[in-house]
Amino acid sequence: MLNIKNLEATIDNKHILKGLNLNIKPGEVHAIMGPNGSGKSTLANVLSGKNGYEIKGDIKYNGESLSELSTEERAQKGIFLAFQYPLEIPGVNTNTFLRTSLNSVRKAQGDKELDTLTFLKLIKEKASELGIDEKFLSRQLNVGFSGGEKKKNEILQMKLLQPKLSILDETDSGLDIDALRIVADGVNSYKSKENAFLIITHYQRLLDYIKPDYVHVLSNGKIIKTGDADLGVQLEKTGYSNIV
Amino acid sequence: MKQNYDFKIDKIKNLSSEEISLRKKNLDLFYQTGFPNKKDEDWKFSDLNSILRNNFNKIVNNDFLPREKEFKIIDQFEHNFISLFNGKLISKDFSYEEKNKILINNFNYKDNLVLDSKNSLYFLNNALATGGFSLEISKNYKLKKPLVVYNNFSNSLKEEIVNYKNSIILNENSELNLINYINNSSKENFMVNILENIKVKKDSSLNNILINNSKCNCYFYKYIKSDLEKNSNFENYFLSSGLKFNKFDVEINLNEENSNSSVFSALNLINKEHQEIKTRINHNAPNCNSYQKVKNVLNDESKGVYQGKIFVKNIAQKTDAYQLSKALILKDAAEFDAKPELEIYADNVKCSHGSTSGSIDLNSIHYLKSRGIPEKEAYQMLINGFLCEILEKLSEGKIKNFLKEKLERQINGY
Repeated sequence: MLNIKNLEATIDNKHILKGLNLNIKPGEVHAIMGPNGSGKSTLANVLSGKNGYEIKGDIKYNGESLSELSTEERAQKGIFLAFQYPLEIPGVNTNTFLRTSLNSVRKAQGDKELDTLTFLKLIKEKASELGIDEKFLSRQLNVGFSGGEKKKNEILQMKLLQPKLSILDETDSGLDIDALRIVADGVNSYKSKENAFLIITHYQRLLDYIKPDYVHVLSNGKIIKTGDADLGVQLEKTGYSNIV
Repeated sequence: MKQNYDFKIDKIKNLSSEEISLRKKNLDLFYQTGFPNKKDEDWKFSDLNSILRNNFNKIVNNDFLPREKEFKIIDQFEHNFISLFNGKLISKDFSYEEKNKILINNFNYKDNLVLDSKNSLYFLNNALATGGFSLEISKNYKLKKPLVVYNNFSNSLKEEIVNYKNSIILNENSELNLINYINNSSKENFMVNILENIKVKKDSSLNNILINNSKCNCYFYKYIKSDLEKNSNFENYFLSSGLKFNKFDVEINLNEENSNSSVFSALNLINKEHQEIKTRINHNAPNCNSYQKVKNVLNDESKGVYQGKIFVKNIAQKTDAYQLSKALILKDAAEFDAKPELEIYADNVKCSHGSTSGSIDLNSIHYLKSRGIPEKEAYQMLINGFLCEILEKLSEGKIKNFLKEKLERQINGY
């Protein structure tokens, strides 16, 4: 599904990713762990098509070169990034945003756009699965939401858009235990043979709830070690310094 | 320099010799200075004289009724209406209201022409104005439905100026939602110069909304002078995007205790459009509130101006006055000028003002795009969110939805 070959990324003359290789197949859950500044969020940004990066190397998504696709096209083709810091957008109603987003994706995929009533029914259902109060949906997007509410809103968007590849950028940060469980349940319930996940995290904590097939250690812009779920557990005990 | 205007009082029919002489005096006073230019402090950011010079060959005054009197009635909400064509009162419909509670007439020029003036456009209006209306709401009467004033301008207007005056009086404990609707769809340049006098008497409440229906080449000026009595309420919403040039000159006099006023504006300007909101809020009595929020989005080579003055008289203790201007500048060639002014002679008051201008947040754009929303739509969503915020306080749901829809059309390019 995703094949990254020798990826390099530079921003503001800072060379951050220095030859990263990663292959993700449908149905797999990959975790990327690593110390601060290792390039984890840069990887997420680059995959989402954020402007400002100078990129070398090759990223293929279902055989298509990602560099030729705009951010919105990537999303329309099934790549989803749950942001580490979801943005607050004043004046934009959450429901309106969610509907515009879903319909943009549906339109691009050749599906019929949903009318307001059908959409509202769907979103209420999805929101209640995640324990999101309906009244949040009529508020301005993320404005005044707590950290946990923002992250739950990201997972809600994931479940609504039904992406093929979901990238979770430190979705566990700022979550209390209950919210963490809800978010993890949300992810687990969406796991399938077709869908893949790339989970970026500092801590093993989230991986206690979402079991990865592979754990990669990212350091200084490269993946330096790959293992199974036990690698995450080991890192939690010994820290990064023994490996890096 | 060659004059680019030629105004004739003898085009106006049925004037007494006294009126003719008074109008001539006003016209002479106008000719002494011509249209306002940037040397005038009040016009320093909007040099009307040079704007007109660049866009008109010769402006003449208009005093005839067009044959076409068709216009499209708004169907999103039930309402009463007055319809004007080139300023002339053509029809009215108050079928939702009780009889004899609303007085509506042609504006009476005989008793209301004065030499007193603040700028040359007033003189010009005094000299040339015809048409317009006077509206009076009876004591203790609250209109059941809003009133739409259709300001229709005929497509035959070409290099012409339309001048008129309106008078609106809300007697004690009355209430009105007023929507001024500008309607023209021609490609021709023309000018409009309106002077409006508003009295909001004790315990009354007026929502004064102005919206432009579609893009037109209108050069618009409106001066509103309003006087508020005790416990009255006067809210203004200006959504005039699409006019080529516009200046709202608003004077609000809070003359008695516990009166409230507000000015909200949301403009999305494109091409070389130029719009100015100028306010003067006079706190002449204690315990009054005034609130102003002016939002501009500037594309291309457009220009937005906000000149807001708050004056607090020495007896106006416990004044609460607020003004905020926010601008989003989307292109390097666009310009926004703000001039806030506070003149305070009382010592126990709360006055604050702020002005910000900046560009659109690209991280927010990225966030929306990452959810599959195309870039153009992402921009429109953010701009819409930025501007729509000023409608939050409006309590009439149907009007609010109507305005939101219009605003969205203005942003999305009609």
